Amino acid sequence: MADPSVGRDHSKAVVRVETALVSIDALMKTCYWFSRDFSCGIERDGEDAARVVLSAKDHVSEDQIASVQREFLAQAMDFALRERIDARTSEIRDLLLAKAFSEAGVLEEKPSGKFGDAIEEMKPDGMFKILSNAQR
Amino acid sequence: MARSFYALQEFAPAPKHFSLLPFRFTRFSEKELLVNEAGEFIFVAEGTIRKLLDGSIDVTSGLYRDLKSKQFLYDDTSSPLLDLLATKIRSKFNHIYGGTKLHIFVVTLRCEHSCHYCQVSRQTAARGEFDMSTTTADRAIELMMASPSTHLTLELQGGEPLLAFEVIRYIVPRAKKAARIRRKHLDIVVTTNLACITDEMLVFFRDEEVKVSTSLDGPAALHNMNRPRPGNDSYERAIEGIERSRSILGSKNVAALMTTTLASLDYVKEIIDEYVNRDFHSIFLRPISPYGFAVKTKHRTGYEMQQFLEFYKEGLAHILEINKRGFRLTEVYSQILLSKILTPFGTGYVDLQSPAGEAWNVLVYNYNGDVFASDESRMLAEMNDLTFRLGNVHRDTRRSLFTSPAALKMFGASCNQALAGCSDCAFQPYCGADPIYHHATQGDMYGNRPSSGFCARNMEVIKHLFSLIEQGDPIIMRIFWSWLRIQNSRNEPSECD
Repeated sequence: MADPSVGRDHSKAVVRVETALVSIDALMKTCYWFSRDFSCGIERDGEDAARVVLSAKDHVSEDQIASVQREFLAQAMDFALRERIDARTSEIRDLLLAKAFSEAGVLEEKPSGKFGDAIEEMKPDGMFKILSNAQR
Repeated sequence: MARSFYALQEFAPAPKHFSLLPFRFTRFSEKELLVNEAGEFIFVAEGTIRKLLDGSIDVTSGLYRDLKSKQFLYDDTSSPLLDLLATKIRSKFNHIYGGTKLHIFVVTLRCEHSCHYCQVSRQTAARGEFDMSTTTADRAIELMMASPSTHLTLELQGGEPLLAFEVIRYIVPRAKKAARIRRKHLDIVVTTNLACITDEMLVFFRDEEVKVSTSLDGPAALHNMNRPRPGNDSYERAIEGIERSRSILGSKNVAALMTTTLASLDYVKEIIDEYVNRDFHSIFLRPISPYGFAVKTKHRTGYEMQQFLEFYKEGLAHILEINKRGFRLTEVYSQILLSKILTPFGTGYVDLQSPAGEAWNVLVYNYNGDVFASDESRMLAEMNDLTFRLGNVHRDTRRSLFTSPAALKMFGASCNQALAGCSDCAFQPYCGADPIYHHATQGDMYGNRPSSGFCARNMEVIKHLFSLIEQGDPIIMRIFWSWLRIQNSRNEPSECD
């Protein structure tokens, strides 16, 4: 699990995170959103973890530092969730966008099953004909 | 022999497994807000996303059926309906089809006002010195007609365009003729302070089907403070002009817009009441434009943005109360966002488009023939920043404008799908990119989202609207839907505007 409890310098928050749970990319995205108020540094901490040092650009209290650590961890976990969602859906997302922006008919799927009104098709003089689609 | 029915599962078998469709999420007042690629959304309990990823969600639950019907997942009991979802996505991006629709002609820079937020007027300029020539006008009309769009809007601006009425009288019939030849539908609007409107001009506008859009910043004291002119009577002239225009053009062809200044921020109710008293049925609580003051520091930008957000929320609450009392009044900024949130459609408002609407959906033809990606980029040019000047009507074709270095550089920063911070944002389908805003305020077209006033404003307004949607007050939702029905039922302004 991620460990928020390292180092409470009054202007710095240090967060240690296991990279098996939250990737470096997820940590960088989290740091991006904290970059308005904090300078962020990420360094490896052994083989399985990373340390994130958040240095406040303005003075913050010790309570605020603890709050920042909690908030940082929560957002980092959310970015880890987003990576999992992306891993499961990126291919179908690419397909959806390709379908959305392709020319009409190029990537559309043929409807499955047989459809048509067999009764009407048997009437040579019938006014309505819903013809069966060709079967492959 | 007794008969029995098969068990229910024989007729509606439970899915054995399900697959996710792409979505983004954010945490929202102890719930999770999921938004898919088409902008459809659902509020779910905390922990639902983990259950979706772990595959532990109850497939017989109402939640599962909701997620499936809104295309957040699909399973083996039905088709994933990818074509349907792709069609919804295509609808959301409808603004990128068809080419440039809005064409702004700056017919003159002359103006008799000295508005604090304007950087472009030439108060004492001689007639002709800063007016659009007929040669430039002819060439601009050609370029406008070169747009593939079958529906064009020509907006005549300034300075104060009525000071160059002869230029307007030259352009309008020629533009209409060119549109008829090319079988394009053409709407024409003149944006004017109405201070020098005459009946002759109004009759011309009536006969040529030109609509009027004017400025009304609020009650007299506020309006005159924002828009000084000799005699300090901008408000009085605007009101008289509005009444005369309505009497000749009809109410539906006269609209008003406000500009939010720092002075406006303490008077949102008074501004809204002014619009009600003048029988306007829409008001656009537009954010403060940064272009006149080139705000660079994040602290000053953040302070103003927080004030604007308070202004907007208080204003929206007041507008909803006015609607509840039976007076229909649409808040346009909310209407634009609600259209993106509650309907499958995108928006024609260029500031909230991705790819950004600058150049793509609007072109500005300056009096001297310079072509800009938007009115804001023209204002930057007046401050000697030519970053977004695409070319000149006397030198360029439509192709060369759109393949100019300025255009290509801007297009590269125009898609929020590919911008840091935006690419993971749950509100991405509802928001835009606005490279010109970020260039003006941060010195970088791509922008830094954590310190972006554009991001802060839109995110907070979208969250506020979602909080109202989530509360589910049926009266408020009915008001919101009435605003969307008005928007969808008109290409013309409604009778009461």
